[in-house]
Amino acid sequence: MNRLKAIADGQNIDAVIHDEVMSCEPVLTIKNFSLYYGKKQALYDISMPIAKGTVTALVGPSGCGKSTLLRSVNRMNDLIDSVSIEGDMLLGQESIFASGIDVIQLRKRMGMVFQKPNPFPMSIFENVVYPLRIDGERNKAILMQVCEHSLRGAALWDEVKDRLHESGLSLSGGQQQRLCIARAIASDPEVLLLDEPCSALDPIATSKIEDLIERLKGDYSILIVTHNMQQASRISEHTAFMYLGRLVELGPTSTIFTRPKLHETEDYITGRFG
Amino acid sequence: MSQHSPRVRSSHNLSAQGEPMIWLSGGMFAIACLMIVCLLSFVIVQGLATLWPRDYLLLGLVDGQVAGGEFRERQSYVLSRQNLKDLDPRSRERAEILLADQSETGSHRWYLRTGNFEITNRHFQGVPEVSIASEKPYLPKEIWLLERRQWGNLYGFPMSLSWSTPAGESTLDAVRAAMSEASVTRRGIESAKRVLERLDRDLANIRLEIRKVELAEKSDLQSVTEQVLAAAAEANTQGTPIAEAIEPLLTSQSPRARRALERLARETLTTENEQVKINESLAELEAKNNARSVVMQLPITDMVGDTPLTREQWQGALPSIPDSLRDLLGLSDVAGGIAARAFPVSSNQVLVHLESDGRPLTMAWLVWGDDLSSASVYRLREHTVLVSDIVRLIEPNRLSWFGKIGVYIERWIEFLFGEPREAGVEGGVFPAIWGTVVMTLIMSLVVMPFGVLAALYMREYAKAGWLLSVIRISINNLAGVPSIVYGVFGLSFFCYTIGGYIDGGPIKAGFDPWPSGVWFSAMAILAIVGLVAFGVSILSGKTRSKSDRWVRVIPIVSGFLWIATIVGIVVLMAKTPLFHGFYEAQLPNPTFGKGCLLWAACTLALLTLPVVIVATEEALAAVPNSLREGSYACGAGKWQTIERIVLPYARPGIITGFILAMARGAGEVAPMMLVGAIPLAADLPLDLEFPFLHGSRSFMHLGFQIYALGFQSQNSEAAKPMVFTATLLLLSIVTLLNLTAIWLRARLRKRFQSSQF
Repeated sequence: MNRLKAIADGQNIDAVIHDEVMSCEPVLTIKNFSLYYGKKQALYDISMPIAKGTVTALVGPSGCGKSTLLRSVNRMNDLIDSVSIEGDMLLGQESIFASGIDVIQLRKRMGMVFQKPNPFPMSIFENVVYPLRIDGERNKAILMQVCEHSLRGAALWDEVKDRLHESGLSLSGGQQQRLCIARAIASDPEVLLLDEPCSALDPIATSKIEDLIERLKGDYSILIVTHNMQQASRISEHTAFMYLGRLVELGPTSTIFTRPKLHETEDYITGRFG
Repeated sequence: MSQHSPRVRSSHNLSAQGEPMIWLSGGMFAIACLMIVCLLSFVIVQGLATLWPRDYLLLGLVDGQVAGGEFRERQSYVLSRQNLKDLDPRSRERAEILLADQSETGSHRWYLRTGNFEITNRHFQGVPEVSIASEKPYLPKEIWLLERRQWGNLYGFPMSLSWSTPAGESTLDAVRAAMSEASVTRRGIESAKRVLERLDRDLANIRLEIRKVELAEKSDLQSVTEQVLAAAAEANTQGTPIAEAIEPLLTSQSPRARRALERLARETLTTENEQVKINESLAELEAKNNARSVVMQLPITDMVGDTPLTREQWQGALPSIPDSLRDLLGLSDVAGGIAARAFPVSSNQVLVHLESDGRPLTMAWLVWGDDLSSASVYRLREHTVLVSDIVRLIEPNRLSWFGKIGVYIERWIEFLFGEPREAGVEGGVFPAIWGTVVMTLIMSLVVMPFGVLAALYMREYAKAGWLLSVIRISINNLAGVPSIVYGVFGLSFFCYTIGGYIDGGPIKAGFDPWPSGVWFSAMAILAIVGLVAFGVSILSGKTRSKSDRWVRVIPIVSGFLWIATIVGIVVLMAKTPLFHGFYEAQLPNPTFGKGCLLWAACTLALLTLPVVIVATEEALAAVPNSLREGSYACGAGKWQTIERIVLPYARPGIITGFILAMARGAGEVAPMMLVGAIPLAADLPLDLEFPFLHGSRSFMHLGFQIYALGFQSQNSEAAKPMVFTATLLLLSIVTLLNLTAIWLRARLRKRFQSSQF
């Protein structure tokens, strides 16, 4: 029986989650999570752990709900009026979707980088310290320290240290994306959410971002959506394969890319499908 | 294989080539361009040409008269049998020949600015060419143009001065020197008048205070006021202390009334003393100014008789003139010889300057009949002009090109920065510029927060839905409502209702106040409703779960309660029996209950609100959502995102819309006519006098000035040149504002949207 065909027919299937992933300490736990855009269901009953201090890649064909799932983690989907959800997620031990949760506080514990670089129309310095600014931090020394730390973290410091007060928009695309990463890590988040961070970049900029993710993975737990199988295999410890709003298989990247439990996953990974 | 005929591919298809459409659309484009160019060049040429000094011409007419004036243009006009009767007999003869057997023919006439309005009752004259005897116009070098404070321009020949001048000083220099002295005196007169005005105002304020006491105490102080003033005047003449004299009259009055009456008595006496002194010095100054005048002879002729002189005798300079002419011109008692210079204006007409000892005596206009042996003698009309009345003295036919430029610049400076003269027909439009600018600035202060916040709510907070769409469409339509409608609304709502309320409370605004009992009970009920509304909205803020049905109703209930509270407050304010207005003492003179600066600004704010809202909304919509998301992802709240990301990004668009709204507001005339613009205002709406900004004053407005000058003034023909100049000015202000908007947008956009990749 082909699972993918079953999914397309609207049948429920059980996701296959490898034991190696289950045994890791989770930073984020997704529990029976479903999401609707109005009446249309976009995510179906997804349950999966995201291991702490590792990179988890979400792969799957376009429209399978990877980005929707990622954006649900920091409740960016709240901004869309028609969205309703079922189920829950846990950040550490705390619920993300329970009533009474302060969404703003929640988002401050996560950093997010978008598909297209979106530096704010302000100086490089102000871009990086933006999360601190909105917390009301005015101490120049602290701001400068965080700025340098974040820019070093995003491997951008050496390129921009002499022009911190130029517009963030004056940077090249790859630099802009690293600036966004610097901004995301400036608030010292627990989870870093990367939504196809390299899709708008050229190969050189992409490799720089990948190097950066390599370096960041010990300090932060990273959840990354990508279309690029090589990228997923290069940078992630865990890979989740999604299809039409459902999780199909989640396991260690090495296993998923060499001997996945499901042949559908193998078909997709090797490019025979999708 | 089925057989089908090959498709015909025409290359001669007109619609395929599209040639006609190029011509059609290009032609329309050309017409559009032409219209813009025509409009602009018309206004610019007319506006710029008005103040340029022109040559002064004298034309001899076939009926023996002379026509003189500043040359404006040579117009073509239709000479027909109908308008023959407007001509004198000799011109009619010439016209008949010209017409022959046609009923009409094309001809020209010379359009001259004649000035001398108080004598001829006109400022301009069209002289048909059939009436002109001169082959070419004569340009008298000696002619003076006097721009005066009253009656407009005067053109004439200077004759004598009312005061003696040192020998060797020319008349021109003497008058110029006298003018600068007179302007000093005039300044003295003006400041003395200002002091008088201030004294009057101070007294009026004390009387106002007494009126306030009357209103507060519901008493009548009119008779006691008069008694107090009489007693004080009495005491003053007898030299006894004033306080003692008025004391018995004040014993029955309240302390407040006493204070006011005492002050009135004291101030009236000191003011009267001062007024006497100022009036004396004023009379002295005015006498000084009235002592100096120039006798001018104007190119308007009256026949005095005939003299047997042949045309040949009158060529160039004559050492002496015959006695017959002396008698005719009333010069018989002039001692010594009289020299004459004759200037031919046409073949049988001369203008004669008569001089004695190098000083001009008089002028004469000599016209010969066909036999050229005896001439009709005409005298020129004499007119005396006060030197203090002259604003500018020019010798138009002696001006060099640089001199003309100098006069032109001087006139522009007067136009831009000077006070109006002659009910705005002459002089400057500074009060109108100032009024327009101040009104537009206040309008922007009113419209900016309203418009931007409303647009912010619509774009950032309000939930998209049919209601929002309806509101948005309504606002867009509001921008198309004829502006006079806003004027009518402003007049009835702002001026009469709100202004009336401020002036004299609910009664003046047309609301029947409730009896106290009813009003206080209503207030109690409103207080309860307000408290409940407050409580419910706190409740709705606490609940976040959307599950319970009754919880979902709470925000709606709280919304309704708030609306009810606000409506209640408005009704209570309208119906209060306690408030009688801030300016009750001034009634029945309205303070805010009429058209004035404040209400004009509010009306315009209402008018430009849709422009600001639409522009702001568009600017907000142009902010990329990725920026908002990026900000939210950093943990920013809604307002933080708007304040730090959305508004700075949208700023160029907002400012652009704002400046466009200002440009629209500055050029709007129709509502201004109803809500506060007047053709001639005594005071500026913003000046150095406390409280500096006078919201209750009427003001002058450039756009309204154009309308009032050109079409409402008694002398609109004379005002026409001014209309074009004012139009040019208004056009430049609006263009300047628009250019600023474009420049600002380009500049700010560059800052925010530099290199993406």
